[in-house]
Amino acid sequence: MSDTPAVSVNHLTKVFKGTLVKGAFRAVHDLSLTVKAGEVYGIIGPNGSGKSTTMKVILGLLKPTEGDTSIFGVPSSEVASRHSVGFLPENPYFYKHLTGRETLHFYGSLCGMRGAKLKERASEMLELTGLEDAASRRVGGYSKGMLQRLGLAQALIHEPRLLVLDEPTAGVDPAGSRKIRDLIIEFRSRGITVLVTSHLLEQMQEVCDRVGIMAHGRMVREGRLEDLIAVENQTEMVLENASPELLAKIDALVKAESGGTKILRSGHPRTTLERLFLEATNEAKKS
Amino acid sequence: MSNATNSSIAEKQPRVRFSPQRVWTLAMATVTQLVRMKILAFLVVFCLLAVGAGFAFSVINPEQQLNLLKSVTLGALQIFSIVIGVVSTALLLPKDMEDRTLYTILSKPVPRFDYLLGKLLGVLLLIGGGLIVMDAVLSLILWLRESMVFEDVVTRMRLEKMDTPEAVAQVREIVARQGLTWNLHWAVWAIFLKAAVVTTVSLLLSCIASSTLFTIIMTFCITIIGHGHALIREFFFQPHLSSAASRVAALLLAAICPDLAQFDIVDSVVNGEIVPWAAVYDITGIAALYVTVYLFVTHLLFVEKEL
Repeated sequence: MSDTPAVSVNHLTKVFKGTLVKGAFRAVHDLSLTVKAGEVYGIIGPNGSGKSTTMKVILGLLKPTEGDTSIFGVPSSEVASRHSVGFLPENPYFYKHLTGRETLHFYGSLCGMRGAKLKERASEMLELTGLEDAASRRVGGYSKGMLQRLGLAQALIHEPRLLVLDEPTAGVDPAGSRKIRDLIIEFRSRGITVLVTSHLLEQMQEVCDRVGIMAHGRMVREGRLEDLIAVENQTEMVLENASPELLAKIDALVKAESGGTKILRSGHPRTTLERLFLEATNEAKKS
Repeated sequence: MSNATNSSIAEKQPRVRFSPQRVWTLAMATVTQLVRMKILAFLVVFCLLAVGAGFAFSVINPEQQLNLLKSVTLGALQIFSIVIGVVSTALLLPKDMEDRTLYTILSKPVPRFDYLLGKLLGVLLLIGGGLIVMDAVLSLILWLRESMVFEDVVTRMRLEKMDTPEAVAQVREIVARQGLTWNLHWAVWAIFLKAAVVTTVSLLLSCIASSTLFTIIMTFCITIIGHGHALIREFFFQPHLSSAASRVAALLLAAICPDLAQFDIVDSVVNGEIVPWAAVYDITGIAALYVTVYLFVTHLLFVEKEL
């Protein structure tokens, strides 16, 4: 893998011009970040924190007021930078009069793909995203989750090395959301770099190698996920089939220890509501 | 990292140049979209109108009968082509932005000019295709009507014992002049050229405007003003008629609006006048110039547009 960063953002500032009624708005302020090739990088932050604006500048859809961005070393202002990138916007819509397969052929043609290669690649993408059965249906009849998966398929059609995903699971049910998450993990295993934003922090935690937290247009925290979320002065131990006697022994051992060591809590770990939902719906499907 | 450093480590990427294939892909997607929106339903309306104008009236004299057919159908063609051009164009670009389809297209290696040209070409292909079909229908009806009218008139003359060879020859000449000639196709070509210019104006306005309605209304205003271009010029060149401010305003209007009266050869065709080749070349050149200039300005605006 090359040393060139997949995405490089250097001192990016984006100010939207004001109108007579409203003043100018600074959406991003002196933002710098680097996404290494092959990693999954998550940008998280509340609404209006500048995540989508940053992505649009990276993709060349917006011009930076100050600073610069590049994709695999090619400035975002150059159309050539988009050879390497696939983009899934938040809540994407496609030409609803085209079928799923026609949509992929359309996007593939825009990238210069033709003939048998394009047809093969479109079929491969439909299979990857689980849309083969809906390939001949018009996109106007697709559910939100299907649109999102079609969005992923179009983003991948030209075999990009970088995927930019803006809220990929927004409005998708937990099963669809899980499918998208699994796909992101698969992309990473294929060596595709992923830059993703999401409000769903638990999902980000599962897929991201590194995250950046944005607020008010600035990067407030950035680093490896394990480093960021680890509570340095606490240790977690999960036991299976532990008897009450063993737990009492451990408790006694800890109490006997000097230096302020104490057990903060103990009990049965809880599954997440999402996991419970997926297990329950899968059981219902099997029965 | 500076731009200089970036470029030194930049990986080799092929330069993205203008691609006719890419433009064609965008154009065909636009055509498919518009066709599946059943926008060509107006073809059926036109055919009914043509049949009605051709056979519903039992008229007066052969000249008037064929005149009426051409006048009604060519008038309908003008209105349909301009309305379809303006409405389709005004809807397409803002809708692509609203639905974020534009993001997925422009985040591919697609230069903005290719996108604009593809959209324009798609609408023009649709209008052109529709006009070819309607021209064929009109030609067929005119050809049928021409022979029927000639037979009717000659039969009437025979009954009135006025069918001298000179009189029959004169009727044949009138019917031939008012019937199906190449002039009819030139009129349809002029209608296409006018629609192409108006469509490009609509594309330009849709890049500036924030609403579809504004684009449609403004384009129709410019279309109306464009038909009175000669009046504006006259106003400008007669200083004694107005103040300097009015003249500057007139100059601005004349510069912004296309002179659409240049394409008005329909009346001549309806009256059976012959359209010279030179006139056809002229209007084609003028339309090409207008489309190029408006498209260039549209590109300058669109390339700077924040999406």
